[in-house]
This record gives sequence, C-alpha cells and structure tokens, in this order.
Amino acid sequence: MPGWYYDKKELRHSPSAQDGIDYKTEMRYRKEGARLIINTGSKMDLGYNTMATGVVYYHRFYMFHSFKQFPRYVTACCCLFLAGKVEETPKKCKDIIKTAKSLLTDQKFTTFGEDPKEEVMTLERILLQTIKFDLQVEHPYQYLLKYAKCLKGDKQKLQKMVQMAWTFVNDSLCTTLALQWEPEIIAVALMYLAGKLSKFEVVDWMGRNTKHCRWWDMFVEDVTMDLLEDICHQVLDLYSQSDAPIHPDSPPLHSNAKQQMPSLRPSNGQEKTLSPDRPPSVNAKGPPLSDVPQFPYQTFTGAPPPAAAYASVFPSSMAGPPGGPPPHLSGPPPHIAAPPPAVFSYVNHPPPFSTVVPPGAPPYFPANAPPPGQPPQHRPYYPPQ
Amino acid sequence: MSFEKSHTYEALNRIGRGAYGTVYKAKDKKTGNDVALKRVCVPLSEDGIPMNTLREISLLRQLNTHDHPNIVRLLDVCHGQQMERELIMYLVFEHVEQDLSTYIERHSKGFSGVQIRSLSREILNGVDFLHSNRIVHRDLKPQNLLVTHDGHIKLADFGLAKTYDFEMKLTSVVVTLWYRAPEVLLGLTYATPVDIWSIGCIIVELYSLKPLFCGESDGDQLSKIFRVLGKPPESEWPEENISIKWNSFNVNSQISIDRICPNICETAYDLIMSMLTFNPKRRITALEALNHRFFLEEPINT
Repeated sequence: MPGWYYDKKELRHSPSAQDGIDYKTEMRYRKEGARLIINTGSKMDLGYNTMATGVVYYHRFYMFHSFKQFPRYVTACCCLFLAGKVEETPKKCKDIIKTAKSLLTDQKFTTFGEDPKEEVMTLERILLQTIKFDLQVEHPYQYLLKYAKCLKGDKQKLQKMVQMAWTFVNDSLCTTLALQWEPEIIAVALMYLAGKLSKFEVVDWMGRNTKHCRWWDMFVEDVTMDLLEDICHQVLDLYSQSDAPIHPDSPPLHSNAKQQMPSLRPSNGQEKTLSPDRPPSVNAKGPPLSDVPQFPYQTFTGAPPPAAAYASVFPSSMAGPPGGPPPHLSGPPPHIAAPPPAVFSYVNHPPPFSTVVPPGAPPYFPANAPPPGQPPQHRPYYPPQ
Repeated sequence: MSFEKSHTYEALNRIGRGAYGTVYKAKDKKTGNDVALKRVCVPLSEDGIPMNTLREISLLRQLNTHDHPNIVRLLDVCHGQQMERELIMYLVFEHVEQDLSTYIERHSKGFSGVQIRSLSREILNGVDFLHSNRIVHRDLKPQNLLVTHDGHIKLADFGLAKTYDFEMKLTSVVVTLWYRAPEVLLGLTYATPVDIWSIGCIIVELYSLKPLFCGESDGDQLSKIFRVLGKPPESEWPEENISIKWNSFNVNSQISIDRICPNICETAYDLIMSMLTFNPKRRITALEALNHRFFLEEPINT
C-alpha cells in the first residue's frame, strides 16, 4: 500500500511539473481546487471533516495525475462528492455540481463539458483507483482539540489560540502540508504559531513529565523547531500570495513575505532556530519600516486577515471548533454552532509574529508595533467573491 | 480474464469460487510473493459507488493497520476492467496455502487437546477483534479460516457483507447453512452472536473431524440443531413474526454433544454449550469466551 507523504523534492516533481506546469501555477491550482471544495461544501452545510477529507483526496490525486489531463474544478467536485459518502454526509452529485457552478465563472465551468454529472461520475472511479480506496483520512482538527485540553494557562487566551489555530488548519488545506506531514504534527505547528500570535503562554500541561521540554513532546516525537517553523511558513505564505486574477480589487500585494516575518526566520538565508530563551536577532536588512505593511497577511481570498475576514472566508461550519471550544475551556459549553469570530489580539500588534519574550525583558521587535490600543491605519475589508 | 489495471499481479490459477465471487492465486511481480486476488463486483447506483461499499472497503483498510495476527492481510486494492454499470475491483490479500477444512482433512487422526485449545483461542481472538470493530463476519466456516504453515489461524472473507449482497443474488452457488445460527435460519435480525454460534460448531468439528449440523434447508438445519441440543421451550421461541412455527418441529432420538465427540473434556463441553445457546442474547461473547476456564486451565493432552 502506498504511503501518502512526500518530501519537497517529490512535490516539485509532480506529474503536473513533468507535464510542463510550473510549481507556482500548480500550487495555485491546488489552492483554487481546495478552495472550491471548501466553499461548495460550506454552502451545502457539509462538516469541516468532509471538506478536509475531500481536499486531502484532491491533493493526493494530483500526485498521480497532471492538472493538464484532469481539470481541477471537476476533480474538486468529485473529491467532495466522494468525501461526502465516506464521511456519511452524502450529497447528490448534481447538487454538488449545481453549487459549484454558482461559485465558478461560466468560463471556468466549461471544463465540466456537456454532461457535468457524467464527467464527475466517471472521474469517481479513477479517483478511487488513484487513492487506492484509502478513504479514511485524519485531520489536524481532532488533535488540535485534544492537545488544547491538556494545556494550562490563561483560559481566555487559550480559547483565542484554539480559534486561531483552527483557522490556520482550515487555511493549511490550501497548501500541500497534508502531503508532507501527519495531522498530529500540523496541529502542533499551527498551535505553536497561534500561541505566539495570540500571546498565549503555556504555563504547564497535563501529563507533563521530566522528559518533556515542550508540551508537544508528550504527543509527537522528534519535532524540531525548524520543522515547526517550516510548516508555519507554508501557511503564512498563503496570506502573501497573489490572487489577482480572481480578486482584482485586492489590496496591493507584498513582495516578500519572509521579510515580514523577521522573527521567524531572517531573510539572509540562514536558518535560525527560534527558541523562547533565545529570540533571534532583528533582521537588519529588512525593508525600511515605512515599507513594512501594517497588515502583512492577506488571506488568499484577497481579504485582509483580521477576524471578520476569516469568518467569511470559511463560513460557520469551518470557522471554529464544533460546538465552541472544548467545554472545560469556557465554563458552560455555549450552545452555538460556531464560536463568534475571535478578535485576534495580533490585529493590533503588527508585526503579527511576536516571539515569546522572557519575563521582564523588553518586548521583542517593538519598532513596528503601534502603541497598544491604537487602531490599525488601513484595514479595508473585501468580502470574498 | 483480464488484468489490464493490475499489471503488477500475474494470475496463476483460480483457487476458489464462492457465493462471494472468485478468488485467484497470483504472483506479485514486484516482490515475487504469492497473493490471493479476490474479484469483487460492485453495482454502480444513481450516485456512483454505493456508500456501503465505500464504508466496508475503508474499514477493511483501517483494520489492516492494526496488524492483528489472526486476520488475513489486505495488501492492495486494484481496479478491474471498466464496465458500464459495475465496478470490478480486486482485493489483494496475502496468500495462505490451506484453510481449516483441508487442515482437518490432513489430520485424520485428530487433534490433541492442546492443539484444539490453541486453534479455538486464535479463532476467538480474530473474531473478538472484528466484533470490537463492529464487524460481524456472518459466514464463519472452516473454508474461510486460513491456517498458516506453522499452524496459526487467520480469518478471511469478512467485512464485505453488504457489498457481497449484490453478488449473492446473482450467483447460484449454494451458501452453506451448516454454521448458521438459529436466528439467521429463522430470518430474524442478527448481530455478533451469530459468529459465536459458528465458532461453537467449528470447535466441535475440531474434536469430531466432521461437521456438526449438516442441514439441507433452513428447516432441516434447525431440526438437526434441535436433535442435538434439544428444542428450546416455547417461551424461548422468538416473538417476532416468523414463518417457522415452534410446533412444526418434532424432536425424537436426541443425541448429545458428548456422544458426538467422546474425547471432549468437561470445560470444552461447557464452553461449547454456552456458544450453542439458542437465545443469542444469552450466548457467550467472544471476549467472555476467551476468559472461559477452557483457556485458563493447564494444557492437558487428550
């Protein structure tokens, strides 16, 4: 039985690459297909697991086939169709196509041919064969919730952190992370990222023993900081990518995402391990401060990232942990389908990636941060189209 | 037959043709290992491949990840030729040379108590694993209990009950009734206890070397059962609407299990009787059976 994990070299030698599609274009096709699955699924009230499963099928499919041979939106519909059945939330093929059609331009829909249903149904068999009937897929969501239950710290911040990590997991579906790392590791990495951004400090954790340096040592082995940061960057890079053809109204794009995250990795090419007790030095070669945008992260829909935008990019079924955060985090469990979009603290504190500051030390990289409470200068909101 | 889609396997010969489709022995060209290819035909519905099939195949693949010692390994799933309204697929399993039925034939002098205990434990271990994964085998019999060259049991042919239903209707192959539980014969709803009944029959067969109840029809099978175990009291007869009536059976000249297998020990007899209990709700479970005295006492060669 095949394994489903690939290294970066393999990802760059995909069937599409061998078929003459450049890497950047392939990543865009992957993102667009994943997004169609998520948007179609959300519109049809499918659960986050169904959508995530569909997206993982989609990414796996294109490790065996080229985007030239199989048009991405047809494949996306087929993956969602199959995932619906596997996750026990079946939807009629024609309804999926109808919903997808409403989300695509007429020109994009032409790839479905004269008989769209037949097109998708025929593909189902090819899809099944390609993914070798390996239909059960695990996602980072469940691990995220499981890990969060073990963490001790400020409860409100923890809740925010979980909400933010959840959003990152949603967004990670648009990357090839699910082809690179197990869901446990992705969950750890994105919780680490969300923890930094929301300034949640892990005071202690349940089940801690003397061998554990980090909370995640309890759940995953041999995870280096380099690995975690690489995963975080792959998600963060989404927010600096261009979607210009689809969203001509998007705010201007930022040329170098890496430079906007000096605290994660300096742009001089040296990989530095970021550790709480040794914050990396500020990258002196970074752009002049005036060039650093206030809100360097754009969601891939072109909307800026603050909470409101996240919520609309991923409609309610994807937006947060089911039934709100883990019960013990919030006292009595709220009876709402999804928690209200959190207002992330990092919105007010660019640069968004702040390192853990040793107690008593001056805040790290303060130059870019406006005085606390000062509203951001420019924060247009572009609803996703 | 064609294997256009499975270039890596070279079919050698047909090794079985059951109600559940055909099984071929084949060679994996990559590894040189023998494999068993099972051809399964799935009808395509209005909405493509049925959920039952998807569910069962993915469960089979999930089970596989546990590497249970008494479960046959699923190595691969391939696609056969493309048909209009059907999906042909091949499930590739590890190939095990013999099944329990040939194993019994080869031991015409009988098994020792220790052997019977070990075979029974392994069967129960496999079935307990299936049951804890919410799988009812439904068709346990010596033919689909495989025996490895070093004498260990591996269960085969499970997990596709709903997928198989389709093929069952198409084939005229007679399904053996001999290991069927009374509730199946009576057409009632059934669950995991049906497998325990089958194991009870199989353990007796390990002692006597021949099938316990060889019925030719549902009714005949039931009367053969009652002849050995006695007819249950009328109060035990299911209340659900069933076509077979309690008073349609006349049991005379009863023969008991210990007359069928005189070499049976007392604890084995007790275990078998708790497996061959008419009422499925009172039948012992696989886990309980594994903790039965029979498996705990000192091995005694008989």
